[in-house]
Amino acid sequence: MPRSAERRLPHRPLRLAGGAAAAVAIAALIATLFWSILGAAAGGQGGGAGADIGYLIYITTLQASLSTALSLLVGIALAWALNRLRFVGRTLVIGLFAAAIVTPGLVVAFGLLAVWGRSGWLGGLGVPVFGLGGVVAAHLILDGAFAARILLARLDAIPELRLKTGQSLGLSAWRRFAVIDWPALRGSLPGLAAIIFLLAFTSFPIVLLLGGGPAVQTLELAIYSAVRLDFDLALAVRLALVQIGICAAIILVSAALTPVPSSLDRPATPRWRDGPAARALQWTVLALALAGFAAALLAVLADGLAGLATVLGRASFWTATATSLGVAALSAALALALALVVAAGRAATPSRPLRTLLGAPAYAYLAVPAVALALGAFLFVRNLGILPDAAAPAIVVIANALLSLPFALATLGPPLDAIAQSRGRLIRSLGLGGTRQFAAVEWPLIARDAGLVLALGFCFSLGDLGVIALFDTHDFVTLPLLMSRALGAYRSNDAATIAALMLVLTLVAFIALPALFERLSRARA
Amino acid sequence: MLRPSLFALAALVCLALPASAEDKPTLTLYTYDAFAADWGPGPQLKAGFEQSCGCTVAFVAAEDSISALRRIQLEGATTRADALVGLDTFIAGEARATGLFAPHGLDLGGLALPAPWTDTDFVPFDYGYFAFVYDKTRLATPPASFEALIAEPDSFKIVVMDPRSSTPGLGLVVWIREAYGDHAPEIWAGLKPHILTMSRGWSEGYGLFLKGEADMALSYTTSPAYHAVAEGDDRYAAAEFTEGHIAQVEVSGILKSSPHQELARQFLAYMASPEGQKAIPETNWMYPVVDLGPDLPAAFGPAPGKVLPVDEAAVTADRNAWIEEALAALR
Repeated sequence: MPRSAERRLPHRPLRLAGGAAAAVAIAALIATLFWSILGAAAGGQGGGAGADIGYLIYITTLQASLSTALSLLVGIALAWALNRLRFVGRTLVIGLFAAAIVTPGLVVAFGLLAVWGRSGWLGGLGVPVFGLGGVVAAHLILDGAFAARILLARLDAIPELRLKTGQSLGLSAWRRFAVIDWPALRGSLPGLAAIIFLLAFTSFPIVLLLGGGPAVQTLELAIYSAVRLDFDLALAVRLALVQIGICAAIILVSAALTPVPSSLDRPATPRWRDGPAARALQWTVLALALAGFAAALLAVLADGLAGLATVLGRASFWTATATSLGVAALSAALALALALVVAAGRAATPSRPLRTLLGAPAYAYLAVPAVALALGAFLFVRNLGILPDAAAPAIVVIANALLSLPFALATLGPPLDAIAQSRGRLIRSLGLGGTRQFAAVEWPLIARDAGLVLALGFCFSLGDLGVIALFDTHDFVTLPLLMSRALGAYRSNDAATIAALMLVLTLVAFIALPALFERLSRARA
Repeated sequence: MLRPSLFALAALVCLALPASAEDKPTLTLYTYDAFAADWGPGPQLKAGFEQSCGCTVAFVAAEDSISALRRIQLEGATTRADALVGLDTFIAGEARATGLFAPHGLDLGGLALPAPWTDTDFVPFDYGYFAFVYDKTRLATPPASFEALIAEPDSFKIVVMDPRSSTPGLGLVVWIREAYGDHAPEIWAGLKPHILTMSRGWSEGYGLFLKGEADMALSYTTSPAYHAVAEGDDRYAAAEFTEGHIAQVEVSGILKSSPHQELARQFLAYMASPEGQKAIPETNWMYPVVDLGPDLPAAFGPAPGKVLPVDEAAVTADRNAWIEEALAALR
C-alpha cells in the first residue's frame, strides 16, 4: 500500500482495539478448546493412527485446491454474466445461487444425484458423479455459486462514471473486463479463495458420500475416527493441528497478496451492453450454471413436496423451527456485530501484518475440525462447572456465529477498506468522530452488504448441525437435527421435506434481508 | 421475528434444566439420539416404566451410542448417568474395559437371542443381522454370497459405510472377517469394483440406495420390515448369504457410580421383559430379545439360516488391524 494511504486514514484507536479484542478472544477460544481436549487426553487409551494419514492429507489438499480454483473460475464467469444480463426472475436466480453455500452439504449432494445420478433426470447422459470429480462438482455448486454472489456485489458497485467513461472509449467486452471488472474483483479473490479452500478441506459427509471409497476421502475422517472410535484424544489434537497448519498456510498466502481497494456504488441499471458474441457467451454461462446449480436445488424442492402435509402436521417440526429461527437470528446478529468490529479494526490500519493478525483467528476457526469443536466445547463448559446440557443453546449460537464470521468478513471487509481509503480524507477534514463516521458515511454504503451478512449468518446457522455431538439433544432439537433424525429412522420423505423447507427459508432470507437493509439505510440517509 | 424466537430460546434453556422440585428419584439414562426421539422406543419405555417405578425417567441423548460412552468416560465418576442404553457388540468390550460398569445381577436365561446370553455386565434389548438390502422390482435374483456378489459385472453397485465413522461399516469388516478369516482382504479386493461409495453414516448410504443409485446397500435383515409395515411397501428384501450373517446386539449397562443402581437394574429388566420389548420392533426396527409371538409383525421374517458367532475379545483387540487391511485392499 502506498505511504500516502496511511495519511488518508482517519485515526481510530478504539476501532483497532475493538478489532484486536475480538481477534484475541477468538484465538483464545480456539486455544482453550484444544487445551481442554489435551487435558482430557491423559484419560484416553490411545489407538493406532491409521496408516493412510499421509495419503489423506495429499488427497484432501488436492481436492480442496481443485475445488477452490474451479469455484473461483466459475464464480467470476457467473458474476460477469449476471452483472450484464437483465431478465425476469433475476433476483430469484441470484438468491438461489447464494443459497447454495448455506444449504447442508448432503442436501446439495442428493440434489446433484437427483439430476446426474444413475436414476436422475439426466442420468442417461452417464456423467460420473462418484469419485474426485463428483466431490469437486458438489463443492462447485456450494462454493462457486457463493463466490459468484460475492463477486457480483463488487461488480454491481462499480461507479457509473467509470462505466460511462469506458463506454465512451468503446472498450471491447474483453477490454472492459480486464480494465474495469478485474480491478473491482481482485480485492475479494484472496479472501474468497481462503474461505472456499477451508470449506472444501474440512468438508466431510459430502466427500464420503460422493468420493467412491478410500481413494477419495478426507483428513477430517481420521480426526473424527480418532475421537470417536479410538478415543485417542492426543492423536486427534495432533491431526487437528496438521489440518489447521495447512489451512493457516493458505490463509497467510492469501493475506500476503496485495489488497486492492474495491469500489463502492449502488447497483445501477446498466445501459452498456457488450457485443453480441459476449452476450451469447453470458447467456451460455447462465444457462450452464442454471442447469448445473439451480437444477440440483430445484430437485431438492421438488423432492420435498411429497411429504409436506405430514411434516407440517407435526408439533416437533414447529418446535424445531422455532428453535432454529431463534438460534439463527441470535447467531446472525452476533456474527454481524463481530464482523463489523473486526472489519472496522482492519480498515483502521494500513499495516499488512496487523491486518492479517486481526483477521486470521476468524479464518482459523473454520479450520478446526467439527469433532474437535464439539469435544472441546463440551469439556470447556464442563470445566467451568456448568451443566453442559444447559449451556448447549448458548454454545450452538456462538459456534454458528463464528462459523459464518469469515464469510461476513469477506463481505464487509472490502467495502469498509474502500471507504476508509477513498473517503478518509473527507472524514478527517470534517472532523467526524467514529460514531458519526459509521452512521453518516459507512452505514448507508454497507447496509446492503450488512443485510447479506445477516442473511449468511442466519442461513448458516439454520443449516448447520452445530457442535452438539456430546450435548443432550433430547429437548434441544433444531431443523438440521430433525432432518438427520428422520434420515436415520428410514423417514427419507420427511427428511426431504425438511431439507426443502430449510432451502425455502434460506432463499427468503437471502432475497429479503439485503433488500430490507438497503431500504432501512435509505430511510435514514 | 427476533422476540418470539428469543422467547423460544429462553423456554428451551428452562426446559433443559432438571426439574428437581419433586421428591421422586430421577433415573438418568444416557443414550443415542434416535432412541430417545419421538419415534424411537424411548418415550414408550419411559411411560411404561414410570407407571410402576415411582420415579422419573430422563434421557440424555448424544449423537450416537459411542458418543454417549465417550461422554461417560470424560465425565468419569462424576457422571449423572445411571445407565447407558444402546451400546453394541462392537463397542461393548471397550466399555467393559473402562471399569465404569457394574454387573447387572439379572437372570437372563429366558431370553431368545442368536446365542445364549452369558454376559454378566450388559443386558441386551434388541438385535439385528447385517445384510445387503435390495429392491425386488429392480433385482430379481440377488447374489447369494460374497463370492457371487464379487462375480457380478462391475456395473453392479453396492453402498457400504466407512468402518471408521459408522457402526454398520464396522459390522461389515467384522462380518467378512468372521466369514473368511485371513482371506478377508481377498474378499475386500473383490468387492472393490462394486463399491459405489463408503458413506459416513448408515442414513446417507441407505438413502443413496433408496434413490436408486445402487443395486444393494449394507443394512439389516429387518430393514424391509420398516418399508412393509410403516409404508405398506413390500418391494424391499434382504439378500441371504450362504457364508452366514453376524448379529449386532444392542445392550445396556449400569454405572458403578450411580446412586440409583437398583432402579437402573429394574429399568433394564423392564426393557428385556415382554411388556417392554413390545415397544422395540416397530420403533428401532430390530428383533426383540424375547419371543413376542403374534406381537411381532410377520414382515420381520425369520432369522438367516446360518449365523456366525462374533468373538468380542477379538473385535476389541484386532478391530483397527481389520479396518486397516480392508481399507488397504480397497485403496
